[in-house]
Amino acid sequence: MPDPDLPPPSDPVVELYKQGVDRTLLRQNLRRSVDERILNLMDLQKLAEELRRAGQRSRERRQ
Amino acid sequence: MTDFKQLLHLLSASKIDFILVGGMAATVHGATRLTQDVDIVYSRAGTNLERLVAALAPYQPYLRGAPPGLPFRWDAETLERGLNFTLTTTLGDLDLLGEITGGGGYDDLVSRSSLIEVFGEACRCLDLPALIQGKRAAGRPRDLEALAELEALLEERRRLDSTDP
Repeated sequence: MPDPDLPPPSDPVVELYKQGVDRTLLRQNLRRSVDERILNLMDLQKLAEELRRAGQRSRERRQ
Repeated sequence: MTDFKQLLHLLSASKIDFILVGGMAATVHGATRLTQDVDIVYSRAGTNLERLVAALAPYQPYLRGAPPGLPFRWDAETLERGLNFTLTTTLGDLDLLGEITGGGGYDDLVSRSSLIEVFGEACRCLDLPALIQGKRAAGRPRDLEALAELEALLEERRRLDSTDP
């Protein structure tokens, strides 16, 4: 296995995807504690679930 | 929905030897992508299998996506016979991995993980470079965006480390 401390070799496809990464969100997250990151994930999961349910209700109303 | 906090607390408080990997490990390192389950690489030692079985038993572990009523027995023998288990539990989805592509099993990965404190309990989490290597080794097209985020995260962390007084 390669040395994990070495910078990873650059892959052109991944480099392209990296341009789409919102680094402001990463920096914001890096300022949070581990517990805060997990609680934030749980909030996001809750929001995603509520949106999914709202979409489902809306589709049912249209039928 | 997965109760990440409860699941992690349960695994850690039950003294199970495991390493957090996958999307949850990425979250711990600061990734922003939404994940739905908890992935762990668990030690295959007999006593650890017993601890896993005892800890999860009250939460009705069952094979995710399998039709109800299968003769699935949640015991150490079942764990011994298999390797990777994708489970549903009443606390949410949990993937028990005996090994991961490009990384191996628990004993191979321990040296590439760190002890972190999560909600007051100590827990092992795969280091970011190892997480990146695992994603690369898996070579799945659907992982490209996640891989890009992890690499960007590593760059950001190194930038922070180099500017720290």
